[in-house]
Amino acid sequence: MAASALASAETGNPGAGDFGHALAQRERRFAAALLAPAFLALLATTTFPLIFLVWTSTYRMNLAMPFMNGFVGFENYRMLLIDERFWSSLLISLVYTGTTVALQVAIGLALALLVMDMKRGQGWFRLIAILPVVLSPAVVGMIWRTFMLAPDFGIVDFLAINAGLGSQNWLGDPTLAMVSVIAIHTWQWTPFAFMVLLASLASLPEDIYEAARLDRATAWQRFRRITLPLLRPAIVMVVIMRTMVALTAFAAIFTVTGGGPGTATEILNLYAYRKSFIELSIGYGAALAVALLIVTIVISGVLFALRRAK
Amino acid sequence: MTGRGHVKFRDIVKMHGEFAALKGVSFDIEPGEFFALLGPSGSGKSTTLRILAGLDAPTAGHVFIDGKDVTSTDARDRDIAMVFQSYALYPHMTVAENIAFPLEMARLPKAAIGSAVKEAAQKVKIEHLLGRKPGQLSGGQQQRCALARAIVRKARLFLLDEPLSNLDAKLRLETRAELKKLQRSLGVTAVYVTHDQEEAMTLADRMAVFMAGEIQQVGTPAEVFAQPNSIDIAGFIGNPPMNLVPARYTNGDILVAGHRLKTAARLPDERDVIAGLRPSALRIAPDGLKAQVDLVEDLGDMAVLDLNCGGTIMRMRVGDHDVPREGDTIYVTARPQDIHLFDPTTRKRL
Ligand SMILES: Nc1ncnc2c1ncn2[C@@H]1O[C@H](COP(=O)(O)OP(=O)(O)OP(=O)(O)O)[C@@H](O)[C@H]1O
Ligand SMILES: [Mg+2]
Repeated sequence: MAASALASAETGNPGAGDFGHALAQRERRFAAALLAPAFLALLATTTFPLIFLVWTSTYRMNLAMPFMNGFVGFENYRMLLIDERFWSSLLISLVYTGTTVALQVAIGLALALLVMDMKRGQGWFRLIAILPVVLSPAVVGMIWRTFMLAPDFGIVDFLAINAGLGSQNWLGDPTLAMVSVIAIHTWQWTPFAFMVLLASLASLPEDIYEAARLDRATAWQRFRRITLPLLRPAIVMVVIMRTMVALTAFAAIFTVTGGGPGTATEILNLYAYRKSFIELSIGYGAALAVALLIVTIVISGVLFALRRAK
Repeated sequence: MTGRGHVKFRDIVKMHGEFAALKGVSFDIEPGEFFALLGPSGSGKSTTLRILAGLDAPTAGHVFIDGKDVTSTDARDRDIAMVFQSYALYPHMTVAENIAFPLEMARLPKAAIGSAVKEAAQKVKIEHLLGRKPGQLSGGQQQRCALARAIVRKARLFLLDEPLSNLDAKLRLETRAELKKLQRSLGVTAVYVTHDQEEAMTLADRMAVFMAGEIQQVGTPAEVFAQPNSIDIAGFIGNPPMNLVPARYTNGDILVAGHRLKTAARLPDERDVIAGLRPSALRIAPDGLKAQVDLVEDLGDMAVLDLNCGGTIMRMRVGDHDVPREGDTIYVTARPQDIHLFDPTTRKRL
């Protein structure tokens, strides 16, 4: 379909009799034919499910009550706007995303600045730091649930006890659970920010820092007036990429808290999942997913606009 | 502002691993002096300047500024302004912001900063570029921006690392004059690195000549030009450089390529020497050394001749009126006081 569309766009040319032109046209047709399979695969795996999702969101489709199914138009979205659980999960999503992205950038930048000043061992540090990134988020969730946060035996709880804070219910208390899932995501993805910012830092010229020293700028002024502005493009890029991922995070929270206790860590993604596959309200779940898509697009759009605005 | 900017370098050594970039350098710079560090590429001029600025620590030795040992004082606290060989402009700031930066760090009021920036930019003729970023400037414009940033603050020491190397000939002459006037009017001590001896000769009150990590001579440009104290300096200073030819000293005369020349030097006994003859000191005389003109380089108002004196090559500078032609045979000589004698083994002046 894509191939024919491309080819038909070509034949509209009146000077097609010309030999070179015909050759170019043949080549383009061949190129289109080569591209077609990938294009079709892309359509089948991304565009089609997306369209199907939007279409589903206009139906009442409840597997528990199949007799009620049918086209309802914007009914699901109308319900969504007055659904308190939707608004609270959206808020949790935003808090989760905002906090973890801010932490990733702040910690990543601090680590990068520290490592830049390291005389030796930089390579090792980088190697170790990258490890969390290569783990599957689901595995990370399991590690934290069993190895780090388990009562009494988990490392974090053990440290808390020794610090005199006493054993805490890290995943059972609503506030602590939120703190925990944010900490987990931050732990896994800070290395990404760290690597990007370190590379960016390493590419900054050294002589301007010497000039700034002679211009009598303090270490803080050098950071504020030179490092930060020069790192800005890299920071904005990290924020955009990490925000898009954090908004749609799923696996780690799913394995650690499953959205609980109650709905304390139920981000929008998780709510859509629960609605669709636990409560089996597929149509409404689809509407939630579309809402998440819109939120992600809007936030990314705003961030990209900010980036261009300079 | 007099009495500020007295610099003392004592036995400064700088090692890069096994390599000695500076091998024990000592000199003094008087307050208000324009002091040049002259030497070929890689001789340690920038290294010296960076140690003076406090950007690098010496491996051994001490640096004093105004009588205080500042060897371990941070660059921030030395009150020194510097123009970097690489310019080191802040790439994200406009020219105006670059120049304003040292003043902002000194917490000057906004209004004062604005006028000071304009004034500094005018002095180096970049007032029309104030709104641009360094990336949008030519090399010479960047260099002038760096210069403006250094002069905008009245530091007690003013360090310049080849600040004019990227300017065209006309602009270089203008900026050079401007720099000298500026330094005079401020009465500030300036240390000026260059490998261009003409620049050093015209600008400096005194200069230190560097060779391979050592200072070979310190003195006024006239002194160094008139009395170079080693073969290396003799071959480095002057354009074209001094002719250095093997000769034999006997009894107040030297024997060059079979010809006798009178000298002013008095050595105890007969010996081999290296005779130094400036191209401008050679003159045509019928009883002189026989030489064939191999090549004539016409420079407009003067010419440089390549002479072949029985196998010994010498260069000679002549005015534009009596230029011989290539292939001519001429006779050249030099006044006794214009002949410098050096020891071939120690390479020192005799
Ligand atoms: N970080 C370093 N490691 C090793 N050697 C160095 C280092 N920095 C400088 N050097 C060496 O020290 C010597 C002096 O360098 P310096 O920069 O002072 O030369 P310079 O006189 O300023 O030359 P130029 O006129 O080319 O700027 C050079 O031979 C250089 O290779
Ligand atoms: Mg240098």
